[in-house]
Amino acid sequence: MAEFNRRDFLKAGAVATTATAAACSYDYVVPQEKVLPYVVNPENVQPGLASYYASLCNGCATACGLVARNKDGRVVGVEGNPDHPSGPGLCTRGHFDLVATYGPDRVAGPSDGNAALSWDDANKRVADAITAATAAGKSVAWLGRYRSGSVAALLDVASARGIRRVNWEPLGVDALLAAARMSYQVDELPVYELAGAKTIVSFGYDFLHTAFGSMGMAKGWAKAKDPSHDGFVTRLVAIEPRLGQSSSQADHWLSAVPGTEQAVAAALARLCAEANGYAGPTLTLVNEADVPKIAAASGIAETKLREVAAWLTSGPSVVLPGGPSTAGAQAAHLAEATFLCNEVLGNVGRTVQFGRGSRPGHVSSYADVKSLLDDATAGKIGVLFLDGVDIVHLAPAGLDAAAALAQCDLVVQLANEPDDSSGAKTLLLPTGSGLEQWSDANTETGLHVLGQPAMVPLKDSRAVGDVLLGLVKALPAPPAAVPTDPAAPVVIDVATLAGAATTFADFLKARWLALVKPAEAEPTAWWRDVQAKGVFVHKVAPTSPVWTGGPVSELPAGPPAGDVALVLFAGHLAEGRWANVPWAQELPDPISTYFWTTWAELSPATAARLGLDEKDLVKITTDQGSIEVGWFGSPAVRDDVVAVIVGNGKKTGKYAKGRGANPYRLLSAEAGWYGSLPLSGARASITRVVGNSGVHALVGSMHQDGRSVAVNVNVDDAVNNLVGAAGSIVPIHHLPTDPRVEAAGPVDMYPEPQHPTYRFAMTIDANACNGCGACQIACAVENNTPFVGPDQLRKGRTMSWIRMDRFFEGKGENPDIRYLPVMCQHCAHAPCEGVCPVLATYHNLDGLNAMIYNRCVGTRYCANNCPYTARRFNYHSWEWPESYHLMLNPDLSTREMGVMEKCTFCVQRIRSAKDLHRDVAFAEREAGKPVNMRQNEVPDAELRKLTACAAACPTDAIVFGNWNDDKSSVVKKGTTPRAYTLFGELNTKSAVHYVARVNHNQPANVGHHGGGHGEDHGGAKPDADKGTHGADAHGAAHEEG
Amino acid sequence: MSDKLTYSQVNRDVMRPLFNATSLWWGFMAIVGLGLAYGAVCWGIQLVWGLGVAGYHPPVFWGVYITTFVFWVGIGHAGTLISAILFLTRSRWRTGIYRAAEAMTIFAVMTAALFPAIHVGRAWQAYWLFPYPNQRQLWQNFKSPLMWDVFAISTYFTVSTVFFLIGLVPDIAAVRDNTRGWTRRLYAAMALGWRGTDRQWHHYMAAYGFFAALATPLVLSVHSVVSWDFAMANTPGWHSTIFPPYFVAGAIYSGCAMVITLMLPLTKFFKLEAYIHIWHFEHLAKLCMFTGGILTYAYGTEYFVAWYSDNPYEWGVFVDRVVGKYWWVFWIMFMCNCVLPLVWWFKKVRTSFMGLFVVSLIINVGMWFERFNIIASSLAHSFDPAAWVYYTPTYIEIGILIFSFAWFLLWFLLFVKIMPSVAIAEVKETLRPPLKSEGVAAK
Repeated sequence: MAEFNRRDFLKAGAVATTATAAACSYDYVVPQEKVLPYVVNPENVQPGLASYYASLCNGCATACGLVARNKDGRVVGVEGNPDHPSGPGLCTRGHFDLVATYGPDRVAGPSDGNAALSWDDANKRVADAITAATAAGKSVAWLGRYRSGSVAALLDVASARGIRRVNWEPLGVDALLAAARMSYQVDELPVYELAGAKTIVSFGYDFLHTAFGSMGMAKGWAKAKDPSHDGFVTRLVAIEPRLGQSSSQADHWLSAVPGTEQAVAAALARLCAEANGYAGPTLTLVNEADVPKIAAASGIAETKLREVAAWLTSGPSVVLPGGPSTAGAQAAHLAEATFLCNEVLGNVGRTVQFGRGSRPGHVSSYADVKSLLDDATAGKIGVLFLDGVDIVHLAPAGLDAAAALAQCDLVVQLANEPDDSSGAKTLLLPTGSGLEQWSDANTETGLHVLGQPAMVPLKDSRAVGDVLLGLVKALPAPPAAVPTDPAAPVVIDVATLAGAATTFADFLKARWLALVKPAEAEPTAWWRDVQAKGVFVHKVAPTSPVWTGGPVSELPAGPPAGDVALVLFAGHLAEGRWANVPWAQELPDPISTYFWTTWAELSPATAARLGLDEKDLVKITTDQGSIEVGWFGSPAVRDDVVAVIVGNGKKTGKYAKGRGANPYRLLSAEAGWYGSLPLSGARASITRVVGNSGVHALVGSMHQDGRSVAVNVNVDDAVNNLVGAAGSIVPIHHLPTDPRVEAAGPVDMYPEPQHPTYRFAMTIDANACNGCGACQIACAVENNTPFVGPDQLRKGRTMSWIRMDRFFEGKGENPDIRYLPVMCQHCAHAPCEGVCPVLATYHNLDGLNAMIYNRCVGTRYCANNCPYTARRFNYHSWEWPESYHLMLNPDLSTREMGVMEKCTFCVQRIRSAKDLHRDVAFAEREAGKPVNMRQNEVPDAELRKLTACAAACPTDAIVFGNWNDDKSSVVKKGTTPRAYTLFGELNTKSAVHYVARVNHNQPANVGHHGGGHGEDHGGAKPDADKGTHGADAHGAAHEEG
Repeated sequence: MSDKLTYSQVNRDVMRPLFNATSLWWGFMAIVGLGLAYGAVCWGIQLVWGLGVAGYHPPVFWGVYITTFVFWVGIGHAGTLISAILFLTRSRWRTGIYRAAEAMTIFAVMTAALFPAIHVGRAWQAYWLFPYPNQRQLWQNFKSPLMWDVFAISTYFTVSTVFFLIGLVPDIAAVRDNTRGWTRRLYAAMALGWRGTDRQWHHYMAAYGFFAALATPLVLSVHSVVSWDFAMANTPGWHSTIFPPYFVAGAIYSGCAMVITLMLPLTKFFKLEAYIHIWHFEHLAKLCMFTGGILTYAYGTEYFVAWYSDNPYEWGVFVDRVVGKYWWVFWIMFMCNCVLPLVWWFKKVRTSFMGLFVVSLIINVGMWFERFNIIASSLAHSFDPAAWVYYTPTYIEIGILIFSFAWFLLWFLLFVKIMPSVAIAEVKETLRPPLKSEGVAAK
């Protein structure tokens, strides 16, 4: 020690200091970036302020209107267009389309699989191939999705010039369209007006999800269920083998033997005719139905059918057609039989409207697809255009689409990213997203929707219309008469317009001015107005078509062979279109809450019969092939049915590749009657495969164990306001105590927080919620919540700020499936706030339970203490892969690993709304006006749909607002007798108010008043009623004491 | 004490294990080193990749780490109980065992103190839990039980350490007198100039009494505060007024069991049977029987209250614990804490080496599972049935659990090599003083 002198000390000190400095300098090394100001500021663009463009949703064939929010050059949000009949609100698919716009797999420009091409080269190659094909006597064909508007008009021209055209919707409108043609001689999909219907019978129509026009029907359905709308609550009877998202809303489930649905509909028609004394022209046809025989064959008791008929004839009603689960070989006949029911009930022209429905003009059936591919295999197709149909993925087992495409000389694929159909001969032409390119749609008669580009294309893409315009110009003009637009009120010469236009945008505008614009309107102002609104509507009156249909009461011949009937259904991925969108893969299925894979739904009895263990797979074998998938025991599937979700099983795509199995491979290539693809009804056998399927439910419990989470009230009580005083439907559970203590009410240890101006609150109408998930995906897009991938999601680590609770509270004929979106409840007495050791979460003056990400240490105590389990923890640094980062909302940060996050009530939107109104108030004060300081309050009209979830909700189930404002919608809805707060007995004073669902099977409240609070509460015996539908009925009956 | 023992014999016996490391000791150290290395790798992985490498399954946001934290805090109870409370109540049987028990306490608290840092999402910000002056004018939330924890644990650690070091002073002086070179200087510093004069003894005994009195309430408060981490939350299965006494009883139960687990082999290896008799262990076993009885009663009370309160959430958790997905945890806990230790009611078992050792190990296992049962099963079965899940730990959490044992044993192994494991001075108090005529240096 003595040797350690001053010099050594200095040396050692220097080394230590340098080492410390070096260690400290290893911090975040911020790379130098150059920030360049605009030299010339773009007109009307203010950095930091969003621009809004009315456009058109390309998420499905329905083509709803949307408003795209462009922030600093990129679209970072989409909402429904309130000027469009389907708005406000936007379903999941509109949001998926936004996410897909930023997909990492998007190609940079035209490519032939090996090399990138310029558009000129690509066009030349297409033109050469067409010339070569014509010279060789081969045809040029177009296989694409259903298109309307200007693209359809160009397809008409192309078709007249010799292009073989097949427009096909994989999940099928062909059967319904065929039925309309047979029944009424109209080429039109009817509009179902659910809002006025007292009884709705559905034969599997996916009217809230994949069906054409589901947004409008979802809105109608919510109105029909609202007791304050018409003074009644509609009753939904589902007649199908498996309950999906739409039919999960059913009050009654009658599951007919698969294949007999058509006969059941015919029997219903006869019983309705008997009940309402129908004596119309179809009476002879109606009376052909042999009701007892049909009842016996279908397994539905005749008395039950009579009961349904009695409901149907008791008021306005709708009988909805079939959907994927009933899409057997006779799907068109089933739809025809439902038209017959509606005919007998006098619904046609009232709740089932022709004349203003969609007139697709040209929709091909699956049979056309098959014949096209057969011809391609035979070498008759020279050039094949593929527009949005991944035919190799969608083709049934017997139809070798890959081989067919290989036989074409050139396959021109109009898509933004390669899919399973991309092969060696594919020329990929990126057509951009609907948010980047011009488009339009005319999916309802008289309703014209304009799709404006809302941002500069991210990639070198051109609109489908531009490609088509080039094609039309390249083709020789036909000697025959030019085609006209069939739906047009004025006859226009589309071919001439197309010839005159240099770009699709020009053509589109010219077509709109010629076709859509009223004669008296001034073109420039009208066009500006249309651009602002995005929609133009011609009033169209419903027509009264005359029945021309034939017999429909046929029963399938003989008992079915094989083990079970196969039913295919579509979830969030639709037919497979969104398989490469990770947020879509991650959105839990409404029924099973599964994700990221393919699975089969079996009844618990079937699972028990097979001896299935939770982790096992099931092998499903048809005469066409077999797949092995995980399984879900759903109480809403018949015992003789296996239901398989479609969408996964793709071979291409960063996120789609290798997930699950492809159930289309179980189908026969044979087209059904009238050409549709029988998605269901094939016979299959199922066997157990021991293994680890990796499927996982995101929702823990099948039922709510007698607890009052998703609460039902009886329909008569709801209509007649018999549910008791406001806030009484979910009383506080505690022991009966001294009446004086009871009278004093709850006592708070801490004073109520002060909310001088705002107390932000939300009301969620569980009666209008159908579990669609639009709120969840809208929230993810708005709030930069990442996807976590299947491995993390299996551990329940979803980052979605909204959890969709799903409970099966019923059994058998009373399914009673309940949904409840649960997010942060922004409690005034928040359990999370008190326990945070570092004050990273606190209650602010607006009533928000605020979260300071930077301060959070990550003890996760707040999350433990949240009774709603609404908090999300960042277990990892989540992936924001290249190009998804462009989608990030610049109004808020992403969160780092190790911190807690949760719903903020979209605080960034609240902030900008408040800022805007404050700016207005300041401006007025500066202008010398007397300013009322309360004037800068954001009005209810703006707050009502302020949060992303409220804005997205298609059924207006979510309403946001200021609880301090007695006149606000949130207060009006949240203080009705059916309103309750979740776990209110915890006295968290939450800001989210739920409105109880109304169900026809719920026991009435009358006669259950009195008795102690929560005495002998059903939930105190959690296991007593497990699995029976009585569980909640019993609990609720006591709760209402 | 045996009349055969003399002061010098005591010095020799107790100081024998010091300084000369046996191959057995090195063997233990090697195992400890492996455990530390494995755990350090696990923690490193967790720091880089995030807490996701643990098995957390929301809403189970706390798991093995908090379980282990509470386990070690619990272990840290017996030492101070034995050294302080039994000192104040003049229980003579503490003499042989209190030194090692006290050391165990400190090392257990040191182990427990690692866990808040391991457990938080941003370990690099864990110091934010301490109130310290900072430019940003940030302050802590003193409403949070976690904040109380910070103070309870740090206070307990400080007081026990000071009490421990004060208790060591005369013995360290004895060691000092038997060493040379730099070790002597080290011990001399720690002995605080102890000369063993009457005056020093007088002050020393007064000070020791004061510290014992100061440490006594902490024995009760620390685990009460830890229990409030749970009792103050509204989670069903946690939100219960019985928690503080129940946790304190459990802590003493597990602590005494750990003392038995550690000291039995220690006595054997270092041949200290002359100082630590089976009679000592029997006393500890009786203490365990008493606190175990309290624990069993508390379990029963919890169930009764859950049922009687008619609170569906509370009762739901308690039923789920027994028959639900975590049934195995509950039954391990119940068998290990309430049923199997009943064999100690037979004197033959509680006075046999194997009977004591095996049952004490069983109690340790049971007490770890008790905390796991409380933490995981409550969170996995809380208010909303839609959020019911099943959490299981990953190899990372198991690795860090192993790390905690290795860390604890590291300190304990160092302790037995550096400090006298038996209180030399107090043992000497029980011996007949040596007489000058016998010619023995009395030190």
